[in-house]
Amino acid sequence: MILLIHKMEGNMKHYLTVLTSMLISSSMAFGGDWTGGDDLPTNPLPCSGPAPAGEAKAYDGGSPTNAPNRKGKNITVVDVPKLVGIGYFAATTQGIMEAAAEMGTMDAKTDGPSEANIDDQITLIDNYITQGVDGILFAANDPGAIAPVLKKALSKGINVVGYDANSDPDARQWFVNQAEFNGIAKGLVDNMAGEVGSGGVAIVTSTFTTPNQARWISEMEAYSKKCHPQLEWLETVEAQEDNILSFNQANTLINKYGSDLKGIYGMTSVATPASADAVTQANQCGNIAVVGLATPNAMRPYVKSGCVKSVVLWSPVDLGYAAAHVLRAVADGSLKPGATSVKAGRLGELSVINGSEVLLGAAFTFSMDNINDFDF
Amino acid sequence: MRVLIRHESILLLVVIIALFTLSIQAEQFATIENLLNQGRFLTEVSLVALIMTFVIVTGGIDLSVGSILGLSAIILGVAWKKMGLPLPVAIGVALSVGTLAGLFNGIIITRFRVPPLIATLATLALYRGLAEGISQARSIRGYPDWFFILGQGELLGVPTQLWIVAFFTIFTGFILGYTTWGRATYAIGANEIAARFSGIAVNKTKLFIYSASGFAAALAGVIFVSRVSTTRSDMGMGLELDAITAVVLGGTSIFGGKGTIIGTVFGLLLIQTLKNGLSLAGVKSDGTYVAIGFVLILTLLISNLFNRSSEG
Repeated sequence: MILLIHKMEGNMKHYLTVLTSMLISSSMAFGGDWTGGDDLPTNPLPCSGPAPAGEAKAYDGGSPTNAPNRKGKNITVVDVPKLVGIGYFAATTQGIMEAAAEMGTMDAKTDGPSEANIDDQITLIDNYITQGVDGILFAANDPGAIAPVLKKALSKGINVVGYDANSDPDARQWFVNQAEFNGIAKGLVDNMAGEVGSGGVAIVTSTFTTPNQARWISEMEAYSKKCHPQLEWLETVEAQEDNILSFNQANTLINKYGSDLKGIYGMTSVATPASADAVTQANQCGNIAVVGLATPNAMRPYVKSGCVKSVVLWSPVDLGYAAAHVLRAVADGSLKPGATSVKAGRLGELSVINGSEVLLGAAFTFSMDNINDFDF
Repeated sequence: MRVLIRHESILLLVVIIALFTLSIQAEQFATIENLLNQGRFLTEVSLVALIMTFVIVTGGIDLSVGSILGLSAIILGVAWKKMGLPLPVAIGVALSVGTLAGLFNGIIITRFRVPPLIATLATLALYRGLAEGISQARSIRGYPDWFFILGQGELLGVPTQLWIVAFFTIFTGFILGYTTWGRATYAIGANEIAARFSGIAVNKTKLFIYSASGFAAALAGVIFVSRVSTTRSDMGMGLELDAITAVVLGGTSIFGGKGTIIGTVFGLLLIQTLKNGLSLAGVKSDGTYVAIGFVLILTLLISNLFNRSSEG
């Protein structure tokens, strides 16, 4: 028996060596200067001063076929985020529920996949179409993959509004954009340059296929090249939206680059606190800056200890709140193609950009001075 | 054999009870439109699970099927868009790569005598890594309209891919139940050494089965791309567990030597019925998972109870 195990181990070792060498050669072949961004054109903002006004664009969203008149009527709405069980989407749900309670004419519920998985999300939406809802709110795990099922919803007369992560424009009616990609990119890179001056920086993202993150990284790269060329990009690593993996990946970066690493960007609300934790535990606070997207509650300990100076985000509660109001306005027929603004309860008038997107506002930087004013 | 039939009849009974209960609970459930539509969602896991039945009957397992699906999908996209091959040729390339990936599993398992669990656990990582590397994590889109017939279209009022699943079911059911190939598969699972001494080409059979498993995963990948109209490297993640669950629920012994295609089909039907029916009845996805787990345990317990009493 022992002999057998030994023999198996021998074979395994041999086989694992072959496997490892294959993996190394393939990762070398795929290496190079790719940063984890996407191929879409970038539009970096000017290094200082106000952003130029964008050109007006015609409505490019879709429209439901034979939607019944829902004006002022009670409507049932399902909210399908990328995944459930993380703080960020719990906050958007909270916003949706606040809006629904205020209006009194919307029965909303949130149901999402337990992992950010395209297939589960599609199946879930399809089931709700069969069940017969009046409206669907979604945050897409993939802009293309979700399109057929959203188009099906439109064809059944269901109102469809996206938030947080967009689909193809013609597969939904409106999209509530939390902040423009180039605005977020500018906020992150400016804060990083302000903290480290110059040197090597690395990125911890979710996965290379996540559309928002890939877009931000592209815009960051473009803006960084234009305005802060002294920042040197080292590597982008994937950590899904997983706490432990994010911590490990940040830790690996710290060990791998040593004193060459001056800063880490966290691209998700999970990666940023995990990176801050890794820097804290490695006693590198002050030597390695962490700048990223995250919710204030998760970042409060690191901001208070002085390890993290700036956290960039919008309010996910407001995002959900605005999405619910936009859906109500679409169902009522008060938000039509060609509109330039829409009323969203306590948020006031929100402006329409890029044809069929509603802009929540500018990105916001949390720091030691103001982080206590927020609770989400 | 009597014992096997008993498990499948219990399973059929559970499926019928589930169908009946759920159609009372949710009026949208038992409509032709909904049931056919569910067939679309069932396709990818069904194709993989049918061949997985063979794999598990030999006493093996194939954890790499989800990664092979992802790799084949990426190969399809890259061969078509980046290398400019005509789409039918690209589909052929994707299917070949999937089959080769399966064959590679088989070679590791038979030549190097690595346990299938470990071998395919390794290739699960390897193939997914290749998919991500080759795609550079970009999704590939813009397929021509005719390609969507496969995943989104209909043939004689039935979703196109359901015809493929039906063909596969009958074909694999026939092979496993009525041919020497099928009997060799059972013999290997029951006692591999005895099978070798009886003159069965054990390694050849295994190589063939693992290649078929790769092919099925690749075909599922092509259909999946057609259904969602885009290619991503993370496609098929976790598919292996869904397929294995259906096979084991269908009465196939994880130790090999026992199992039928019809059992796997019932297993697939039961899981999809519960997923869809509970969702339509207003149960949220977390509650649905709990219910599925509960029914799985219950079905296996009841079946074990009956089998033990009939053996005793």
